Amino acid sequence: MRQPLKFHTSIGLSALGVGVFLLAWEALARSGIVPSGLLPSPSAVPAAFVAEFRSGTWQAMVMASLSHYLSGLALGTFLGIAFGTAAAMWGVWDAAQAWVVRMLRPIPSIAWIPFAIIWFGVSEAAATFLIALTVFWINYYASYAAVRGVDKDLIELGYAFGQGGLIPRLFKIVLPGALPGILSGVRAGLGQGWMTVVAAELFGIAGLGSRMSDASGLLATNIVVLYMVTIAALYGVCDFLFMQVQQRVLAWQK
Amino acid sequence: MAEVIEKPVIELKGVAIGYGESAPPVLVEVDLAVERGSFVAIVGPSGVGKSTLLRVVAGLHRARGGSVTIHQTNKPGHRPVSLVFQDARLLPWRRVAKNVRFGLEGLPINAAERDERVAAALRLVRLDDYGQRWPYELSGGQRQRVGIARALAVDPDILLMDEPFGALDAITRHSLQDELRRIHRETGKTILFVTHDLEEAVHLADRIIVLGGSPARIVRDVRNDPGREGLVFRDQVEQLRSGIADNYSI
Repeated sequence: MRQPLKFHTSIGLSALGVGVFLLAWEALARSGIVPSGLLPSPSAVPAAFVAEFRSGTWQAMVMASLSHYLSGLALGTFLGIAFGTAAAMWGVWDAAQAWVVRMLRPIPSIAWIPFAIIWFGVSEAAATFLIALTVFWINYYASYAAVRGVDKDLIELGYAFGQGGLIPRLFKIVLPGALPGILSGVRAGLGQGWMTVVAAELFGIAGLGSRMSDASGLLATNIVVLYMVTIAALYGVCDFLFMQVQQRVLAWQK
Repeated sequence: MAEVIEKPVIELKGVAIGYGESAPPVLVEVDLAVERGSFVAIVGPSGVGKSTLLRVVAGLHRARGGSVTIHQTNKPGHRPVSLVFQDARLLPWRRVAKNVRFGLEGLPINAAERDERVAAALRLVRLDDYGQRWPYELSGGQRQRVGIARALAVDPDILLMDEPFGALDAITRHSLQDELRRIHRETGKTILFVTHDLEEAVHLADRIIVLGGSPARIVRDVRNDPGREGLVFRDQVEQLRSGIADNYSI
């Protein structure tokens, strides 16, 4: 059985892991085994950051991507939870949409890029659409499984105490009972959403992805790495904040 | 002065119970009238349909035949029937006080009365100071007390209890049995109590209904004098046990 680590030990080990990784990368870049144009050293990234920050490009790209990300995340999460919950609660609706889901689910969000551009142009709405699509499916399946997994005895309890109507059953039993599973889906969507942000922006929609694409065309690999680190940091912050909220919301779990 | 004969609070006439349309019934010809304020135990072997009969009275399961009538009092802000389950069945995401409040939500009472009824129910089960605890912080016995408080908070005419102490250790079970007798004395609620434990039935109930046979039916209806201890109590249990051995023992 795994022993839980103390908080400070865990943080220290995480920092050590990152440090070793960066040192190994720096050593590899400086060794000359790989040409510097193909693999920039991590020590070159801060300079790139200063230059991008001073010009205001970094802030503009971050804000643009955050805008797509948050709107797509909100839309996809809400619709995914709503449709997943509805399918899990109503057999008729579940049966009616089952084969539509089976047909649409395997199509990756990136495959929708041509339609996103045709429908919305090279615009923020197109990026939002693609991100929402990715996040939708994750939340749909997580919510579906979580709602189906709600203890049937608790549903019966609701009927026994006058809470069997749709609204009280949904908000007092089904959604609270499914919340741990639903939040797992939301968290998975946070990460997948960032991946789609980059994919969508590589096609010209302004943001971190488009900046990376432009920089790679000029072999400015230190800028590419800067934005890779930026995406990682943004995801890390989102995930950390979400975990804090999740722990508070699920304080009732042992 | 003419004597007023009060209607029984529960009336079952020719009730038949089964699972699914095509399967044979498990319980048939149940005729039972339960007087207001009485403590009735239903005993019988596993699978005989005791819990299902309780769920039929609660309106959670439809009888295959016969009629079920609840003569409820006409008072606002209450539910005629409430249930205590074997597994306490607390909502883990609600603190204890909010679990007790669950059945009160949607009733036409104001927030102050609701809070007072929650507090009174917790006092009744001696958990006054536990309102802000999470269910996972409670012992099995405490969880069951919360289940009883939740059922009493809605001020029911009838309290249905489905083997509520069956999963508890012997010491906790005996302690809660005594608590339940006290609560019955204090509240005067009609209690329909399902158990497979004859000693528990004799210890608690003033009337014992024994189900047996296949399909099951009421095979004995015994008036009892609960609360007596020692040899008399042992005699009662043994008499009942020997009297129903053919129907009850496996």
